[in-house]
Amino acid sequence: MRKLLFGAGLVAVVATAATAAIAATHAPATHAAKANPATRLVKCGNTHLIGMAFPATGDAASLGQQQLRWALFFQSRWNKTHKAKIRIVQGDTQLPNTAQALSVAHQFASATTMLGVIGPAGSQEVQDTVNVYKNAGLAVVTGSATRVALTRAKTGKPRETPANYFFRTVPNDDQQGQRVSNYIRKTLKKSRVYIIDDDEAYSQGLADQVQKLLRASNASVTRDHVSQSVSDFSSLITRIPSNTQVVYIPWQLAGKAQLFFTQLRTAGKSAIVFGSDGLFAPGTFTAPNSYVSAFPVDFNSAALKAYKKAHANKEEAFGLPSYTAGLVVATAIEKACKDGNVSRAEVRKNIIQTKLPKAATLLGFAVRFLHKNSGASQGNGDMAAPANFAVFRIAKGGKYVRVS
Amino acid sequence: MHLPLLDIIDTIRTLGWGGAFELARNGIVLGSLYALIALGYTLVYGILKLLNFAHGDIYMIGAFIGFGVLSAFGGAGNPSIAILPLVILMFLAAMLGSGLLGVVIERFAYRPLRNAPRIAPLISALGVSFFLQNSVLLLTGGQRYNYGTFELGGDLSTATPGPLFRPAFTVDQRPVTWVQVLVVGTSLGLMVALTLVVSRTRLGKAMRATAFDREAASMMGIDTDRVIASTFFIGSVLAAAAGVMFGLYIGETYHFMGFLAGLKAFTAAVVGGIGSIPGAMVGGLLIGLTEAYATGYIGGQWSDVAVFGILILVMLVRPNGLFGARAIQKV
Repeated sequence: MRKLLFGAGLVAVVATAATAAIAATHAPATHAAKANPATRLVKCGNTHLIGMAFPATGDAASLGQQQLRWALFFQSRWNKTHKAKIRIVQGDTQLPNTAQALSVAHQFASATTMLGVIGPAGSQEVQDTVNVYKNAGLAVVTGSATRVALTRAKTGKPRETPANYFFRTVPNDDQQGQRVSNYIRKTLKKSRVYIIDDDEAYSQGLADQVQKLLRASNASVTRDHVSQSVSDFSSLITRIPSNTQVVYIPWQLAGKAQLFFTQLRTAGKSAIVFGSDGLFAPGTFTAPNSYVSAFPVDFNSAALKAYKKAHANKEEAFGLPSYTAGLVVATAIEKACKDGNVSRAEVRKNIIQTKLPKAATLLGFAVRFLHKNSGASQGNGDMAAPANFAVFRIAKGGKYVRVS
Repeated sequence: MHLPLLDIIDTIRTLGWGGAFELARNGIVLGSLYALIALGYTLVYGILKLLNFAHGDIYMIGAFIGFGVLSAFGGAGNPSIAILPLVILMFLAAMLGSGLLGVVIERFAYRPLRNAPRIAPLISALGVSFFLQNSVLLLTGGQRYNYGTFELGGDLSTATPGPLFRPAFTVDQRPVTWVQVLVVGTSLGLMVALTLVVSRTRLGKAMRATAFDREAASMMGIDTDRVIASTFFIGSVLAAAAGVMFGLYIGETYHFMGFLAGLKAFTAAVVGGIGSIPGAMVGGLLIGLTEAYATGYIGGQWSDVAVFGILILVMLVRPNGLFGARAIQKV
């Protein structure tokens, strides 16, 4: 009797599955066209959704939370001055957890009212998830994924993202690398450099660029690595020769850089510490006579003063491009909503045509995106000139002074 | 990945005896911290046969409490009391706070599962670990805090270290700072104190009896619940002390710091022989030295490979650990 019931159940399941399959293959052709997520029209209501893919938890949480603070700061400023509000929907990618980043991408892709995405934060995450976003018609605008190959193909290889779907409100590694190596060789006139990357894609990309450029200018360069999870740098510092003139640390965690500096000085080594934009954190990385490359941000501007006031006097700039990314997407949505309806394709088209003035972006330069290759290392999706990095020196008292 | 052996030999030669001494110094300091945390793992395992995965997070909480006390008294840049009483207060607050937390965790997360299948308290321990980590993440927003000990009595603007970071003595011009002496000295002192408690006190005797046979100990009139709670208290106190010392020596505290430290300390406990107090101490030092020498001679990205490689090697050669007793099976 039991076997009979089981057999009947099995037959029923198979029959149902077969029926569903036949129904699906005979579905009207127009159903497929209406389901195209890129062109699906959504009524422009009072609130527009923008996704934010960032590391809310995990080892990079401190960076992700900073990006979120800037994005929410943008949201609150935008909503104060615009009738149609935006709401940022958070997706925790737990960088460098690729599976989690993909899960967030699928979640955003399937949310029919989601019109654009800020992020993802990491270059590897972008490469891993961008096709999910592309298939859903969503443009992604990142404030921190800086690998050159995302927008500019290496010789013999395609670029890592499809054109006109990926944009970044941060200059790429090559632009920053050029700035840094020029400053070390031509301004500081140093020739013995020790480079330490933190094993993450951002850091390795920058370290590779700077190493290549410094060696091309006949500097003596030693390359080393350290995990982002390490806080005790004493043994790593033992490896650094005493006659090293500059230690370049393209890291993302300003607190770690501060620890590294104090441990370096405790060990009696006097090399100049030079950090990347990830270390631009005036309240945290205060190592005197050190250098940092970063956006030409004006912390005395009204907007940045407002940010500081709203965030316990934090002077942090790493997350600022996420503010700009939000502005890019929100402006594109607003433009697309003029006729009362909006689609992801329209938003994406408007992002491609972005033209934001310097005062609005807070980055210290106007923002518009390149549509094709430019120079040696920029491509479609990168910001056009004059977007570039500046160099800051940390003076006594932790004050950041722009020197280039 | 390519491992250039000649480069390693070249590095050893370049660093010389001075470099070897520095790496030994670094390894002993780090190993002392691992040993303190490992003792907590080994004590709890010895009594309950439970791997307390939340132990690394107790260490993290201890570091935060220490930082809280430091901030309450003005922070490293401008302390309102002298350095010595400030440091003592940090230790006391962290040790007491974490000790109590350990007791609470035992009472509510492990005791109800004492007679459940072994996997149940293990899962509970994992849950407690995630709970603690994410609670701190929510409270701090992922922010990393710096004890700033370099500035405690010093001047960062001129890169002049405070007293804790000044050399206590030098060997071949390589400094050993006061904070390094503090870490090793305090760790040794605590380990000796623990050994004395376990071997010379009534509580220690009760702990050994409970570890040997919990049921029999209970029948002999020992309040095993109280003994177990005391064990958790002691283990958590040691972990908190390690947390404060890590904060003073290295400086950084954040929600995730307990994960890798806990993992390495657990490795130390296993390498030394889980359940063995001298084993945890030796295991901690071994792991610390391995990490230091691997970083110094091979490179930073190899330190974790070396540490966990040691674990595999010891397990293959001596599955019960260096000091672990071989279990006698009745046939």
